[in-house]
Amino acid sequence: MLKEKGQVKFEEKWPYMRPVVLKLLKQEPVSQPEWQELFYSVHLVCLWDEKGPAKIRDHLHEDIVQFIKQAQVRVLAQREEQALLKAYIAEWRKFFTQCNYLPTPFRQLESALQGKSASGTASVQASGTKKNQHDDSIVRKLMLDSWNESIFSDIKHRLQDSAMKLVQAERNGEAFDSQLVIGVRESYVNLCSNTEDKMQIYRENFEAAYIQSTETFYRLKAPEQLTINGVQAYMKYADNKLREEEARAQRYLEAGSNGVIQCCVKVLVGNALSAILAECAPLIRGGETDRLHLMFRLLERVPDGVLPMLRELESHITSAGLADMVAAADIITQDSEKYVERLLELFRKFSGLVKDAFSDDPRFLTARDKAFKTVVNDTTVFRLELGTGKNSGTKVVAPESKCPELLANYCDMLLRRTPLSKRLTSEEIELRLRDVLLVLKYVANKDVFMRYHKAHLTRRLILDASADSEKEEDMVEWLREVGMPADYVNKLARMFQDIKVSEDLNGQFRASTARHDAINIKILNAGAWARGSERVTVSLPLELEDYIPEIEEFYKKKHSGRKLQWYHHMSNGTITFANSVGRFDLDVTTFQMAVLFAWNQRPLERISYENLRLATELPDAELRRTLWSLVAFPKLKRQLLLFQPTASAPKDFMEHTVFWINQDFALVKNGKLQKRGKINLIGRLQLSTERSQLEDNQSIVQLRILRTQEAIIKILKMRKRISNGALQAELVDILKNMFLPSKKMIKEQLEWLIEHKYMKRDDDDINTFIYMA
Amino acid sequence: MSEDPENVEKMEGDSAKPDRMFTLKKWNAVAMWSWDVECDTCAICRVQVMDACLRCQAESKRDFYGKQDCVVVWGECNHSFHYCCMSLWVKQNNRCPLCQQEWSIQRMGK
Repeated sequence: MLKEKGQVKFEEKWPYMRPVVLKLLKQEPVSQPEWQELFYSVHLVCLWDEKGPAKIRDHLHEDIVQFIKQAQVRVLAQREEQALLKAYIAEWRKFFTQCNYLPTPFRQLESALQGKSASGTASVQASGTKKNQHDDSIVRKLMLDSWNESIFSDIKHRLQDSAMKLVQAERNGEAFDSQLVIGVRESYVNLCSNTEDKMQIYRENFEAAYIQSTETFYRLKAPEQLTINGVQAYMKYADNKLREEEARAQRYLEAGSNGVIQCCVKVLVGNALSAILAECAPLIRGGETDRLHLMFRLLERVPDGVLPMLRELESHITSAGLADMVAAADIITQDSEKYVERLLELFRKFSGLVKDAFSDDPRFLTARDKAFKTVVNDTTVFRLELGTGKNSGTKVVAPESKCPELLANYCDMLLRRTPLSKRLTSEEIELRLRDVLLVLKYVANKDVFMRYHKAHLTRRLILDASADSEKEEDMVEWLREVGMPADYVNKLARMFQDIKVSEDLNGQFRASTARHDAINIKILNAGAWARGSERVTVSLPLELEDYIPEIEEFYKKKHSGRKLQWYHHMSNGTITFANSVGRFDLDVTTFQMAVLFAWNQRPLERISYENLRLATELPDAELRRTLWSLVAFPKLKRQLLLFQPTASAPKDFMEHTVFWINQDFALVKNGKLQKRGKINLIGRLQLSTERSQLEDNQSIVQLRILRTQEAIIKILKMRKRISNGALQAELVDILKNMFLPSKKMIKEQLEWLIEHKYMKRDDDDINTFIYMA
Repeated sequence: MSEDPENVEKMEGDSAKPDRMFTLKKWNAVAMWSWDVECDTCAICRVQVMDACLRCQAESKRDFYGKQDCVVVWGECNHSFHYCCMSLWVKQNNRCPLCQQEWSIQRMGK
C-alpha cells in the first residue's frame, strides 16, 4: 500500500475543491454533486498524499483569512455606529453559520493530522486529541481563531464602544434596537475556542467594557442625584437603578455575570453609605416602614451593611421602651395589668416594625429580642431586692427586675375570678396568657415568676377562686412547652391532682359522718404545696376544733404511714354574723374566725389585745395583722370591729387597746344600708407567716446557689475536664430557664466546690477544671 | 386584691334567729400530709420521699395523670425508702442499705 502513494496529489485536487470552499464561505449555493465531490476529494488527498492534510489546512486557512479580510472591509465601510454594529453582526452571523457547515467535509482531516504527529503543529494536536466533536473540530477552530485574529482584534474597540454607547443611550432613556448589543455579545461568546473557559473572550472584553462604562455612568450620576434630591429620594433612585441594571444585565450579559451589579452596588450604595445610614435612626423613630424596607434592601447588598441598622434598631427599642416605662412609672409599678399591657403594646409595635420594614429577617429579630430583654430586665423603674440571708453574711445581691412578679400577678388576674377575667372571653384570656409567656421568654429571672405563679395558683385552688379550671391546666402545659423546668411543672400538675383527690376524699368524709356538711377538707401533698415547715399556733373555736380528731381518724383509715399537719393560716370559711341591723355572711380566714368567735360568749364586751392573744394563742405578728384586717378592711364603710385608742398601723396596737364588735355594722351599697349580704374579708390569702415572707426572697437566692452547684457538678461529671469558658456557656444554657447566673455567683460557687473537693483546677492550666469523684 | 366588698349578693333567706352572734356556716380546712418518716430523703435514689422516685419521675413525664403514687415502705428496722427503689434493691441484696439488717417490710405507705 505504501508503495502506491503519490497517486493522488493535493495539487491535483485543490483547484477543484477551492471554488466549492469559497462558495461555502460566501454562502452561495452549492450543488449536491459539488458537495459530495468535496468529501471525496478530501478523502483521497488524506489517503494518498502524505503531506496532503497539512496542505489542505494551510490553504484553507489562507482562504478563510482572505474572506475575513473582505468582510472586515465591508464592516469598516460603515461610518455610523449603529450601521457598523449592524454590518458586523450580519457578517458575523453569516460566518458563524458557516462555521457549522464548512468543517463537515474536512472531518477526515482530523484523524489524518492526528496520526501524523510530526507534521501537525503542537497546538492543533492538543485540541484534536482531546475530543473529536463537531464543536472542537480543527477547521471550526481555524475559522474562529482566524476571525478573532484578523477582524476582531482590529475592530473590537470600535465594536465595544458602539455597543456601550447604545447601552448608555438606553440609560438616558433613548430607545434603540437591543438586538444590536445582544448580537455583539453573542459573537464574543461564540468566538471563543478555548474549551476550558468558553467565556474568556466575552469576559475579558465585553463584560469588562460593560462594567467600566456602567461605573463611569453612575459615578457621575449618583452624587449628582444625592445632592440635588436628598437622601430619601436618592434611596429610591438607587433602588430603582439597581433593579433596572439587574434587568439590563439579564438582557445584555450572559447569565452568571455578577460583576456589573457588584459594581453598581459599590457606586450607588457603598459610596453613599454614610449619608444613607444617617437616615436610619430618624426613620426608625418615625416608624417609616416603607422607607426602612427600602434602606434594608439597599444596605443588604453591601457586605455588613445592615450591621449599623441592627445597632440602631436595638438601641432605639431599648431607649424607647425604657423611656416609655419611666414615663408611665407611676401607673405600671402599681398595676400589673397596665404594666403587662404596656409592655405588650411595645412588643407588638416593634415586632410589627421588624415584620413590615425588615420582613422578619432573623438578624433583626435577634436585635429586637436583645432589646426586649434589656427592657424587661431593666431595674430603673422598679426593682426586686433579693437578700442572701444570714448564712451568707450581709452581701447584697444585684437588684432584679420586678417584671416576673408583675407577670405572675397579671396571670393571676386572668385565671382568678376577677372583674378582668369576667370581662374577657375565653379566647381573649388564652391570647393574653400566651402573651405573658411571650414576655416571660425575655425574663432573665424566671424562677421569680415560678415562685409567684405557684403562690397565686395555691391561693386560687385553696379558695376555689379559679375562673376556669380547664384554662388553669392548659397554662401548666404551656409552661411546660416554653421550657419551664420539669420538676416545677410537675409540682403544679400535682397540685391539680391533689385538689381532685381532696374532692373525692371530702365526699367520702361527709358520707361517713352524721355531722352537717359545713366542713370541707383539703388534704394536700406537702411535697408539692408546702413552703417550709412553719407552723402557726392558734386556738381554734370549739366548733372547728371538734372536727379535727374526726378528720384525722377518718384519714388514718384511708391511708397509712402518713402524718398530717394543719395549715390553719390557709384555712378559711364562711360565718354568719347577726346584729341589730341584719344578718351577713362573712368569708373569713380561720384566724379571723378565731378572733371573732371570742365575742360569742360576751357579744357586747370590749376585749383587750392582751386577752385576745390569750384566747386565740396567735403569735403577736399574726394577731396584729388579723385584727387590722377586721378594723380597717379597705373599701368597707362600716368596719366589723371597732377599737380604742386609735392606731394607724397594726404595730400601734397596745396591750390595753380594746376591741369590740360594731353592732351597727352593715353593708352599704349605693349609699343605702343593706340588711343582708355577703362579704369577703379574706383579702389576699396569706400563704406563709410574716417571718417566712422575709425569708422568701432569700430562699430564691439560696435555691439559685444550689441549682448552680448542681449544674456545675452535672457538667463536670459529663465532661470530666472542661475549660472555664465552655463551663460558663454550658452553665448558662442549663440554668437559663430558671435564672441567669451572675459571673460573680458562678465564681463563688466554683470556689466553694473546689474548696470542698468536688473538683480542682488543672495544675498546668488554671482555667481548666477537673472533676473529682 | 380585687375582691370587691361592695359587690353584695342576696343571701338565702333563712328566718331562724341564731342564738349566737357568729355561727359557722362553712369551714374549708387545709392540711398537708407527708410520710411519717425519720429521714425525708430516700437513701437509694437520693430524692425526697415526698416526691416520686427518680424512676417514676422519668416515666411520669409522659403520663403524669392517672399514675399510681410512688409510695414509701418501712422495714422492721424502721428505715424507709421509696417502694419502687427498695423492690429493685432487694433483688440484689436483701439487706437494708442503711443498717445492713436483713430486710423485711414492716408496713407500706398508702
